[in-house]
Amino acid sequence: MIRHLFKLIWNRKKSNFLLITEIFFSFMVLFAVLSFVFYNYCNYTKPLGFDHQDVWQLTLRTNSDSTAQNRLIQEQLLQRVKSFDEVEHVSLSNSNVPFAFSMMTNSLSYGSNKEVQANVYDVQDDFKDVMKLQLQQGRWFGPQDDASRHRPIVINLMLKQKLFGEEEAIGKLIPINDSTNYTVIGVMDYYRAYSEFNAEEPAFFSRINLQQNEHALWSSLLIRVKPGTGVAFEEKMVRELSRIAQNWTLEVTTLEKMRKSKARLTLVPMIALGLVCGFLIFNVALGLFGVLWHNINRRHSEIGLRRALGASSAQIYRQFIGEVLVLATFGLLLGVVFAIQLPLLEVMQVESVVYISALFAAVGLIYLLTALCAFYPSRQAAAIQPAVALHEE
Amino acid sequence: MLKNYLKIAWKVLLRRRFFTFISLFGISFTLMVLMVVTSLFDHVFGPQMPEREMNRLLFVNIMRKQLDNGHTQSGPPSYHFLNRHVRTLETPENVSVNSVFVTVNSYVNNRKLALDLKFTDQAFWEILDFNFLEGRAFGQQETDNASRVAVINQSTRDKYFGSGEAVGQTIEVDQVKYRVIGVVEDVPVLRLHSYADVWVPVTLRSKDFNKADLNGEYFATIKARQSADIPKIKEEYAQMMHQVELSHPEKGIKLYSFPDSVLESFARNFLGNGRENKTAFLYGILALVAFLFMLLPAINLVNINISRILERSSEIGVRKAFGASSATIIGQFLIENIFLTLLGGLLGFVLSALVLELINDSGLITYADLSLNLRVFGWGLLLCLVFGLLSGVYPAFKMSRLQPVEALKGGTK
Repeated sequence: MIRHLFKLIWNRKKSNFLLITEIFFSFMVLFAVLSFVFYNYCNYTKPLGFDHQDVWQLTLRTNSDSTAQNRLIQEQLLQRVKSFDEVEHVSLSNSNVPFAFSMMTNSLSYGSNKEVQANVYDVQDDFKDVMKLQLQQGRWFGPQDDASRHRPIVINLMLKQKLFGEEEAIGKLIPINDSTNYTVIGVMDYYRAYSEFNAEEPAFFSRINLQQNEHALWSSLLIRVKPGTGVAFEEKMVRELSRIAQNWTLEVTTLEKMRKSKARLTLVPMIALGLVCGFLIFNVALGLFGVLWHNINRRHSEIGLRRALGASSAQIYRQFIGEVLVLATFGLLLGVVFAIQLPLLEVMQVESVVYISALFAAVGLIYLLTALCAFYPSRQAAAIQPAVALHEE
Repeated sequence: MLKNYLKIAWKVLLRRRFFTFISLFGISFTLMVLMVVTSLFDHVFGPQMPEREMNRLLFVNIMRKQLDNGHTQSGPPSYHFLNRHVRTLETPENVSVNSVFVTVNSYVNNRKLALDLKFTDQAFWEILDFNFLEGRAFGQQETDNASRVAVINQSTRDKYFGSGEAVGQTIEVDQVKYRVIGVVEDVPVLRLHSYADVWVPVTLRSKDFNKADLNGEYFATIKARQSADIPKIKEEYAQMMHQVELSHPEKGIKLYSFPDSVLESFARNFLGNGRENKTAFLYGILALVAFLFMLLPAINLVNINISRILERSSEIGVRKAFGASSATIIGQFLIENIFLTLLGGLLGFVLSALVLELINDSGLITYADLSLNLRVFGWGLLLCLVFGLLSGVYPAFKMSRLQPVEALKGGTK
């Protein structure tokens, strides 16, 4: 039966060619869009590794050139923010706070693992409490690191995996240059700071030591406030701080707001793509329906003959649905051959599971769609009375 | 003749309502998507308030330094550089140096307003064509004196002062009080070089003026006397850059900075590594994407058209038997198909107007004012024709090759 159907389609391959290309292209579009959606969804469901509720970012921009004075003001600002009753924890940071647009990377080498690119976050001891980080092994920074010979860092699981594999990471030294080293003092689980829809990347935290770096300035202050603190406090805080830091530009925003605008950057294109793809597929489905209907209407005499020779209406029905599914199979086979290259060649560093699930989902959807389109015309074909059909000739 | 073809096309459309619906649905939605994209494109790169005379405007927004060891640094140029080397160019009619906008806070009645603040000179107001709702721009004297005056946009006025008159009142931005002297219509955020909520005199930032570094936080807007002067300005600019490069104390340094239109600068920064002019390449990519997007609906339409035309094989047979050539038949079907696409295009225009309205209202793009204008309409018409040809040529060709004898019998294989 199935071999017979294949033969039927193959014999009319010229007139079916366009239908097959149409199914092929629909599959490719569906596969691409589903891969994109699955990839983002897959990342979205993974843990962020921190808690951004009630955390504010205060951006510090100085307009003056004098380093010593800037530095003094920065420390005064830090002390003043800490002294507010509404503030729980505070930490200086570079501009690459969670959900910000800025990124800083550094390459680390250990043994045979050369030049592993990792995000680097400069933070203070309180950062762990500001962002509520979870440590897996070792410890977080503390005052005991002030006198440390090497520069202490805390790395995430992914960086540990890339640098050390299964080996123990705590206590390992990673060279920065000829004279200084990083020393790993702790391993934390996850830290996906760039966006909720981005994959986990290797990352490490390096400790800000105010005594040692006498000239450095950090552009952000992360502040964990007590739950329920609102804009009234924000205004009060900015007014007081501006008195300390005259000529500085201070800007406060909440991480929640930054998260929303970052999420929008992914969600808007995703929804737009989804809508366009949905429309394309719907359009194709309508077209397929029209063409199948038309084709089946033109084959009245064939159906009549089969019925006259004893085929039941259920058999006719199955034949037409089967034909359409075989047609879809031709288009899909072609599409799968192309699509399977992506996970095989490991294009774009995306987990194969994303591609594979997108592939199956796309195949399933196309079969479902073609079967739905064939449903009504096939039922019509099955309802044909042999006497009427043959009479038309 | 044409009238007859159109009459036939109309009758055929009415005969098979379902097929007509499928075709029109596909065409109108495809064209709608393309027109929304075109309108977005026009919104970003085409002439819009306040950058109305786009063919006379050039923008400088990047200064890229490349050292001998391959280390590069890029960002907006400094005031010092723009003031000394760009403002003194001889070919342009006028040059404005203005800062990159910064987001600052302002508090009104226990509410926070995040406002984008831009420092500009007086030439900025001469070059660009803002729609003033109240008051005026700041003049030469106010700029020279570094007066604390501000021009604000409509949204800021409504949020800060309510709906009343704003000119003469005081607005406090970033802990500094300014006197409002003008209110302008909102400028869309995508107009990076002109956009802001509050504009104040650049002289308030005079601390920046003497930093000799090449990189800073400033843009330049250049206006040519006429559009034919644009190549001359670019040439003069390139010569100037060469001089700056030679006189730079660091040896072996390479500097890249270009006066570009908005589209050129976009293509240069995203495709040309900030160095090469990749505008043609960008157009190529856009054309390819549009073609690929149209491909699927076009194949769909071809399929439907073939089914539809097959029914008319006896008509073709008769025409051929009476001596119509293949070319005439192809012509007829193409005209019919273009007629159909234009009809779909018309629907597409209505749909895209609705979608654009929706995008404007959603606040997705700050101060977006997307609309269909004559340029977008022209592009839409062109897209319709391309789509009509793309989907009509194959079925028409196939039908024109029918043998009259077979066609008259009504059978095709």
